[in-house]
Amino acid sequence: MNTPWTTESLHEALHSDQSVDLEGIELNLIGGVDTIINIIMHEHGDLAMQMAVSGEQIFVSSPLCLASQVKDRHAFNEACLRLNPVNPLSNLGLQDVGGEDLYIVFGELSSRSPLAAVVEEIHALADNTIQAAEAFADHMK
Amino acid sequence: MAIWTKIITLFRGAAHEAGTAVVDANAMRILDQEVRDAQNALLRSRDDLAKIMAQRKIANDKLNDKKAKQIEYSNYIREALARENRGLAQEVAVKLAQIEADIATEGKIIGEFDNSISKLQASSRQAETVITRLKQQIDTVKATESVQRAQAALAAQHAGTGAKLGTALDSLERIKQRQVERAAQLEVAEEMAKTTGEDTDLQRRLAQAGIVPGESSADSILARFETPAPKALGHDGVPQLGQANVTSQSS
Repeated sequence: MNTPWTTESLHEALHSDQSVDLEGIELNLIGGVDTIINIIMHEHGDLAMQMAVSGEQIFVSSPLCLASQVKDRHAFNEACLRLNPVNPLSNLGLQDVGGEDLYIVFGELSSRSPLAAVVEEIHALADNTIQAAEAFADHMK
Repeated sequence: MAIWTKIITLFRGAAHEAGTAVVDANAMRILDQEVRDAQNALLRSRDDLAKIMAQRKIANDKLNDKKAKQIEYSNYIREALARENRGLAQEVAVKLAQIEADIATEGKIIGEFDNSISKLQASSRQAETVITRLKQQIDTVKATESVQRAQAALAAQHAGTGAKLGTALDSLERIKQRQVERAAQLEVAEEMAKTTGEDTDLQRRLAQAGIVPGESSADSILARFETPAPKALGHDGVPQLGQANVTSQSS
């Protein structure tokens, strides 16, 4: 069984591995209490995504919209729940970020996943987030 | 152990308080402790299992001894009866009765051991699954929390500038903006190509009509020679080469 990634080793591998195509993707390791990788997707309108590894899990999250940007929360929540099963590879969620509710699109994968799978997840999540934002345009103020 | 209930309690209380950790740190510590306790309990139950299996083995060995004795004593009784020594047979029979009672008891004890063993095995398998899942959930919560904290920090960076946390809506807006820009660029390029095209067409038609000099063709060259030299140039009487005359005319 291969060794699980850590946030640092994953960041290092994404930068140094020649097989990884990072065209239009900017990666920055951000330290602090918990280290994360901040990802900026230049070909997806500079969409910022955050990735962190903890134990057996890699978590990648992308901010969809703030709750304050939604017209009707109740209707939007229902629309999210309905879209979720048909949204391949990614999930929709709600989180409290700095005292504000933020809808996120996120993906989880094993910290023992091959690098190619991690890169695929990054691309898929960016695609899905933009598509979700487009699909939910009518719900936004 | 209901895992989801435990995870949900992690989010109680602390949420909706700006600036505080999203996951209740205290609840997380409790959950971590519970996992450790569960792991210890699992280790203890494995020890218990090993002890019970050892006891079962001892009991089984005893049972086998008794069964061997049972056969041995049965043979004695048969032998004694064959030799018509009823008294001796009676004596051995008393002993055999005791052995058979012991066999029954031992058998029951072993049955109970077997029961306990299968129950312990099942419960430690279950405990193992629960612990693995709970650890996975804790990993997920921790990873989520790292990302959330980072997102909050990023949002705080924007707070001073009055800008909101950048979301997919902003990115979508940028994508649309870029598409509009690209479309506009494309339109300009097309327009320019078209204008150039129109100019070329006009030039061609003007040349065809002989209004502007076009490309030399055999006809136009011949026409130059056939056209009589104009008389109004003022150099009358001076004989000139027709060709030179035409050249000055056309330049």
